[in-house]
Amino acid sequence: MRALPREILVVEGARQIRDGDVVIVGTGLPLLAATFAQRTHAPQARLVIESGVVFPRVVPTPISVVDPRLMNGASRHGSLFEALGGLVQRGLVQTGFLGGAQIDRYANINSTWVAGKRLPGSGGANDIASHCATVVILTDHERRRFPQRCDYVTSPGFLDGPGHRAKAGLPALKVKVITDLCVMEATDSALRVTGLMPGATLDAVRNNTGFTPEAAETLGTVMPPSAAELKLLREVLDPACVYFPERKNQ
Amino acid sequence: MAVGVHKLVTAAEAVARFVTPGAVVGMGGQNINRCPMALVHEVARQGLGDLAVVGCNLSVPLDILVACGLVARTEHGSGNLERYGTLFAWRRAAEAGSIEVRDHSHLAMATRFAAGAIGVPFMPTRSLLGTDVLRGLIDLDIARLMDFDGQPIVLMRALTPDVSLIHVHQADPLGNAVIEGVTSHEVDMVRASRATIISAEEIVPPGSLGERPERVTISEAYVSAVVHQPYGAYPTSAYRRYDFAEDEIKAYQAVARAGGAEFDHWIRRYVLEPERFDDYLDLRDPDAVRRLAMSSSMRSML
Repeated sequence: MRALPREILVVEGARQIRDGDVVIVGTGLPLLAATFAQRTHAPQARLVIESGVVFPRVVPTPISVVDPRLMNGASRHGSLFEALGGLVQRGLVQTGFLGGAQIDRYANINSTWVAGKRLPGSGGANDIASHCATVVILTDHERRRFPQRCDYVTSPGFLDGPGHRAKAGLPALKVKVITDLCVMEATDSALRVTGLMPGATLDAVRNNTGFTPEAAETLGTVMPPSAAELKLLREVLDPACVYFPERKNQ
Repeated sequence: MAVGVHKLVTAAEAVARFVTPGAVVGMGGQNINRCPMALVHEVARQGLGDLAVVGCNLSVPLDILVACGLVARTEHGSGNLERYGTLFAWRRAAEAGSIEVRDHSHLAMATRFAAGAIGVPFMPTRSLLGTDVLRGLIDLDIARLMDFDGQPIVLMRALTPDVSLIHVHQADPLGNAVIEGVTSHEVDMVRASRATIISAEEIVPPGSLGERPERVTISEAYVSAVVHQPYGAYPTSAYRRYDFAEDEIKAYQAVARAGGAEFDHWIRRYVLEPERFDDYLDLRDPDAVRRLAMSSSMRSML
């Protein structure tokens, strides 16, 4: 059984969660990654959901931040103000998972407007990118998703470059972008390629990126999931192929 | 707001009395959970237009009001249905410039409601700093960037809707209401509003909630009218009572995406023509098979 690129992406996302971490996730691949982490190496990882769900044990397979499958076994069912204000802005959530239509070289995210096309807007993303110490972005790697500069900055990465985040009044941040081609990282800097997905090359990454990312001197290869991990992902967490429709064709 | 007064009325009476053209409408619910569908259908039927719809995640209720041409402006954190896609009527209107969209983050909206809820003109947040969201809100004089002890801080202007619409699990005729599961932005939004209409799955006798007042999520102090409407959030969910109806949400998304005459027909047939919300429910779910399935799906998760 070979893992699909997006499955490796999700498992690598899960590896960013340490046991005992408090993480905030939306739905989609981040939620899948967090659920995967809880059921493998991080059973004590605690999830916060923006709608007000504090520390649930997720029942597969929720599709929304208010899905009843996300409310199971929680410490508390509270409010959005409590989750995004009382936990995230308050500084009690270390890691946030995000997506986005555009991610630029300074890891700013646009989820509002792209070239006259209306997107959903921030939701909790701006709050997560403003207050969490670490932001993990899971996304497909497409050139149009990685422009030099976002058309509109919804959620702050490093804004106009080194020092700008602090100047704006925002706390320090580490960003890790995980795609189906590579891993990129930044700390008060431009995104830099630090790892490649199995089979991917730096040339492929650069050809599919709208800016020219620098690369670490030695690029590691992301470890694919084990057979048992893949079985968990496919048979327990997404048996109906909600998150991986491409699996239906296999 | 009236205290100790019986407020049980029909949706038609409540909406006629408390929703006016041009109103700022606080929208309850989030995404596929506990959206005030029955109340929104009634607003659409009465054709109350030029509305500003405000909330955090605005979903199907907003989209239906936009489709009916009743919305002038939205103020929100996001407009979408997550896995089920964007809000097509809202997106088309936003892209055409026929509605004004005022973007916030969810916390920025919740902060504005929190200010309104305790009667102060603003409340600070450290969200939005450095972004285009903040620039837009400063231009509208909704946000101000200030300095506090040498650190930048954002002041969000209080938001006090003219009327809020929410759907709850239980209410007594006085308006004391119980919500189970998450409350999203709703409690502060209601407290900040000049009037609030509540629809409830179940009406309990006056005094019965008084045995456990700590269970009351929203006090009668904030409630103007109470409407009894089982499955009032259909096709969205009500935690512990019924799951959301995925097929129904997908069906709406399919016609909303198509737009044009097909969508107009759907809106007319299922929103505007039914006399009451129960008629709509029976049209879409003739033998209540789907509603029973929604309830049994929820039970299986508890």
